[in-house]
Amino acid sequence: MEEREAIPPGTLAMLILKTLARGGEMHGFEIAEAIRRHSEDVLQVEEGSLYPALQRMLMKGWLTGEWSKTAEGRRARYYQVTPAGRRRLEAELESYYRVARAIAQVLVAE
Amino acid sequence: MGMRDLGRRLKYLLHRDEASGELDEEMRLHIELRTRQLQDRGLGEREARYAARREFGNRAMLEIAASDVWGWGPWERLAQDARYAARSLRKAPGFVAVAVVTLAVGLGMNTAVFSIVSAVMLRSLPYPEPGRLISLWEETPRRQDVGTLNSSGNNLGGVHARTRTTVAAANLMDYRKGAAAFEGLAGVETARMNLTGNGVPERLIGESVTANYFTVMGVAPQLGRTFTEEEDREGGDPVVVLSARFWERRLGSDTAVLDKTVMLDEKPYRVIGVMPRGFEPVTQYGNTEPVEFFVPAAYPKEQLAAHGDHDIGVVGRLKPGATLRTAQAQLDAVSAALAARYPVTNRGITAVIVPLRDDIVQSVSDSLRALLAASGLIVLITCVNVANLLLVRAVARRHETSVRLALGAGRGRIARAFLGESMLVSAAGCAAGIVLGRALMQVLVAAAPQTIPRLATVSMDWRVFSVAAAMTIAAGLVFGLAPAWQASRTRPSESLKATERRGGGTAQSRWRGALTVTEVALSLVLMVGAGLFLKSFTTIMGMDLGFRTEHVLAMNVNLPVLRYKTADLRLAFYQELERRVRALPGVQSVAYANRLPLRGGWSTGIEIENVSESNLSPDSQPVNPGYFEALGIPLVRGRLLTEEDRKGQPYVAVVNLAFARQYLKGGDPLGRRFRRGPQAVWFSIVGIVNDIRRGGKTKDMRPQIYLAAAQTDGYPVRLADFAVRTAGNPRLLANAIQRQVWGIDKDQPVTGVETMEELISESVAVQRFQMLLLGVFAGVAVLLAMIGVFGVLSYSVNQRMNELGVRIALGASPGRILGLVMQQAGGLVAAGAAFGLAGAWGLTRFVGHLLFHVESHDPATYAAAAGILAVVGLAAAMGPALRGARVDPAVTLREE
Repeated sequence: MEEREAIPPGTLAMLILKTLARGGEMHGFEIAEAIRRHSEDVLQVEEGSLYPALQRMLMKGWLTGEWSKTAEGRRARYYQVTPAGRRRLEAELESYYRVARAIAQVLVAE
Repeated sequence: MGMRDLGRRLKYLLHRDEASGELDEEMRLHIELRTRQLQDRGLGEREARYAARREFGNRAMLEIAASDVWGWGPWERLAQDARYAARSLRKAPGFVAVAVVTLAVGLGMNTAVFSIVSAVMLRSLPYPEPGRLISLWEETPRRQDVGTLNSSGNNLGGVHARTRTTVAAANLMDYRKGAAAFEGLAGVETARMNLTGNGVPERLIGESVTANYFTVMGVAPQLGRTFTEEEDREGGDPVVVLSARFWERRLGSDTAVLDKTVMLDEKPYRVIGVMPRGFEPVTQYGNTEPVEFFVPAAYPKEQLAAHGDHDIGVVGRLKPGATLRTAQAQLDAVSAALAARYPVTNRGITAVIVPLRDDIVQSVSDSLRALLAASGLIVLITCVNVANLLLVRAVARRHETSVRLALGAGRGRIARAFLGESMLVSAAGCAAGIVLGRALMQVLVAAAPQTIPRLATVSMDWRVFSVAAAMTIAAGLVFGLAPAWQASRTRPSESLKATERRGGGTAQSRWRGALTVTEVALSLVLMVGAGLFLKSFTTIMGMDLGFRTEHVLAMNVNLPVLRYKTADLRLAFYQELERRVRALPGVQSVAYANRLPLRGGWSTGIEIENVSESNLSPDSQPVNPGYFEALGIPLVRGRLLTEEDRKGQPYVAVVNLAFARQYLKGGDPLGRRFRRGPQAVWFSIVGIVNDIRRGGKTKDMRPQIYLAAAQTDGYPVRLADFAVRTAGNPRLLANAIQRQVWGIDKDQPVTGVETMEELISESVAVQRFQMLLLGVFAGVAVLLAMIGVFGVLSYSVNQRMNELGVRIALGASPGRILGLVMQQAGGLVAAGAAFGLAGAWGLTRFVGHLLFHVESHDPATYAAAAGILAVVGLAAAMGPALRGARVDPAVTLREE
């Protein structure tokens, strides 16, 4: 079985926002699949925990959820990023990159 | 943001079911898609579904986590806890009933009793700065009897020691001058006067007070003014201050009442003021009849010169900052000076002061304290019982707890479930306790002897209720939660493996045993206490009064001095009344005297011819010839008084056996003579009658002299009490006698109409109340202990089902099993009884002085209480024991 990493704490929201910002409308399963695909199967979304996170983000107003039909005709909730969500994503990314850069600098320093 | 956030949350709250339905649908879709994906990769349908579910995680928990996001999680969970608790409690109605009843009884009883104690003893008196108020008494050395005691029995509500007397007005003037620590010292005594000119003549209770009385009490009139010093002097204007009650009920709150006159004892008194409604006259405490008016004391000159006549009550107010000690020291100096100046009357006499509140409640404070202690024990027992119940329940639910833990419930969640249950039970118990407490309080106030001061001010004491409730609930929580906590720390896998019945560990069963032993011990203490008081009361009721009380009706006919100026006029009235009443059908005999037994009295110092001993002070009564027959006092020797013993004839007296025994060292009193002072006339003793307990069942048989009422110049007191012995119910004659009185004098009221039986019943009212209350307490305690024993043994039998089954399968007879369980019960009861007896031995000492002719360590009472408790405890164990003996080994062993 291939090696998989749990998503670092606190980054799930950022990944969801980025995924949705890139791909437009998606339902939960698609989001989970997209994250896994984009990380080349390294990042494994703990599937269940996606949903409380989505609820939280809906509550915060970062996402909107619309019910519509999937290609197979199943009812599903499609999520979309709101302007507030985009602002949030930028803020998260900025702080993430700052931290990542700092970590990288520590690691590459001779 | 905040507002919009809240808006979204509210929307979720309103559409909660919808939201959770949507969430559920999303999750199901997810699992379905994943399953299909896995199937596409070649997994079988079942395996794929299983894997998808496993990867997804605990859906229920995720749903909770998601709904937490909506922001109402904690509240929803609280409601859920409550619902859950209610549901699980519905399944245990026995537990709920017992717990709620236990709480209600414990809290209700304690609160009711404490409310009374608090109103009577603890709450401050209704005067400004009540802490500075004192009452002043005079004390005499024990052997020296003081000439005359205040015959009105006026003692400011307190019962004083034999050596403590009311104050001589003459001395009061010196105390006022000599003790600078007082802002004021006021004289006050009960005044009884006939109110006429206002419909039916009535006898009213009032106070005769010095001018500064109202200033000392710190209460101003609501209308008009109080007395001036001039009015408080002999010969001053007859003025009166009315109570609010008098003003409202008799004068219809007439605001133009000032300067009007009311007729008291045939004399017009000008109304100068009306006191406010909340004013409690100081002689009101412990008296049922309301104090309705105040007149100036205006002590006559002779009284202000008579340093030996101790007949007024004194209240005083200390100056701000002055202490009891400095005031007492100043009074001691005055007493010493008085003793030097008037050695005959004042040697050995000292003034003592006591805080007014202590004085007022002194008569009942010991009994109330005992009852309070008893109700405290009830609360303790309640706590123990509730703890025990919850412990049993919590342990019984260990299996359930393990299941919930295994299903992923957090420890906090489990603790909350228990908490929810305790809280629901506690709330129900408290509510029931409030209802019961209120009802009980009303019953107690109604049943309590009316001589308990301030009884009318009793109201529910919420502070006490809260404290008692908090204690009980805390006990419930600690004992309910501890096992839950412990259960939550064990690994579910382990405790799930154990069978359900084997829930309780040895630590818990030891706790339960200890709690039950405590409960048994505490209830035994109460039972011993109740037993002692019961024995004391039966001893009192068994005391022979020495006279016959049945079919006797007593009443008070107080003739106003203004109309009946001489003793002969008063005698003539009574003789006429006797003649008329004797003619009424059903009347067998008629008595009149200064005071009848149990209605106060008069004692006088005498000297007996050829007896050197001085300070003899027998009870004395002027009586009519019919007195002995009416009260059923038998003649021992000589003769009774007759119609011939009247003015102008030789002065004669009848004495009792105690007189001969104590004063004549058993010598024959017949023919002996005594006199009431060096200048007084000699009385010859012509007869000896049996002893009576004049003061009531608990009083001694004292030496007594009976003088002839018709020899009016032989005694200084007034005839005032009248009684009849009847063939049938004496009550039925009350109206007829009243009419005869009015036939002689239409303005003459009759008061204090009571049968002798009622008088006796009232005289032991405090003891009866005490005994009844303690009896109820003990009963409740025993009931609680029974519940405790029953609960523990039922549980233990439940736990031992398997063991008992095995024993039976191996040939143990049902009798043997019964014995086994009863042995356990016997151990608990025996241990509890041992502790209880020891506790009672130590604690009952404190009530020893409340007992009448019963030792606080009375072995019979201890044995009886322990015996009853043993029987009751073992009876409570019988149920569970029988169930144990009926165990079907086939069933229990199959379960194993």
